[in-house]
Amino acid sequence: MIRTLLWLLGGAILGGIIHIVVILTLPALAEDTIWTRVTALDAVNRIVVLPQVKPGEPNPLGLDPDLAYGVCQIDLKAGPAYLSGTLPDAFWSVALFNQRGIITYSTTNRDGIGQTLEMGIFNADQTRLLAQQQLEIAEGLLVVESDTDDIFALVRLAPPHQAMRARFEAELAKVKCGIKDLGAATPLDPTR
Amino acid sequence: MVTVALGVGFGLSYYALTDGRLFGAAVVGPWTAWPDVGSATPNPYTRGHLTRTAALQLGTSEGLQFTATTDSDGQALSLSCTYRIDGKTPLATFWTLVAVNDAGVNLARPGEDPAMRSSALARADDGSILIYVGKRLAPQNWLELTGEGPFRLVLTLYDTAVFSGFGTGGETMPTIQREGCA
Repeated sequence: MIRTLLWLLGGAILGGIIHIVVILTLPALAEDTIWTRVTALDAVNRIVVLPQVKPGEPNPLGLDPDLAYGVCQIDLKAGPAYLSGTLPDAFWSVALFNQRGIITYSTTNRDGIGQTLEMGIFNADQTRLLAQQQLEIAEGLLVVESDTDDIFALVRLAPPHQAMRARFEAELAKVKCGIKDLGAATPLDPTR
Repeated sequence: MVTVALGVGFGLSYYALTDGRLFGAAVVGPWTAWPDVGSATPNPYTRGHLTRTAALQLGTSEGLQFTATTDSDGQALSLSCTYRIDGKTPLATFWTLVAVNDAGVNLARPGEDPAMRSSALARADDGSILIYVGKRLAPQNWLELTGEGPFRLVLTLYDTAVFSGFGTGGETMPTIQREGCA
């Protein structure tokens, strides 16, 4: 009896170990990840507006049918990145995802930035260089440091009514996104 | 022993990443959410959940998504029934409500709005909501669905104070009551 219970207890402990191993290794073992799905959109250094989710159609990215989405994939090894544009007067938000699908930074237009989206994205080395240069940073420019080089930015825009959707998507498509060549101009001014 | 180990190990892992109630997910009535999902340092269970869904999640400051697979009495949501969503939602700039199947496919009737939105609702004087969800014609706010089988309700709160500690204390979510089945 006791021997059976001990075997069962051993099984449960081993099961606990298997559980921990499964949970910890799952993210590394997955092949169909958010990164591969976004890579398939071909959105490197440009904003790609995702098509609206329609009833009855698959929705692998889990999009909200009421919102317009713009995705831009960036590799910071080539230089600091920028995201720049003016969005319509409605709720919008920006999130930066790393390769593992973890959101490293997010903000909304309620955080005092209004309709203007101006964001500079830097990795750790670029941030250090930026600090050394002691440049004056323009008001309203968001400076974001990223831990990893491979990231993607997601802009969510919420048209107040679906009748406005086409116009809002056109405005979203105008947002500029890409890598600033450090040799050309200062990395801080995305308009130049 | 090996059977117990494999059963406990993989069974527990599957449960943790699907239901997740005892692990990373927060439960308010029939609604569950993963509050850690938009954080820069999610816990291991939330990381597993992120991997499993591989979807574009909301950042902490952008909002939070709640999912319900059962009504307030614990019975699985079925497309053969009509449900009444009643009560108040947590403070948010706006929210949307959609019905999806297990694969995440939107179940709204084609040609109708695929989502119910907080800004386009008839409300009671105290601001509370009353939404009917189902295939049969319903008064007031009606999210018209189509299809057969089980479904999920997804309530996405944008720019919300829920779980941030700024709310009124107990987080209130609307109840889901079964009205009648065909």
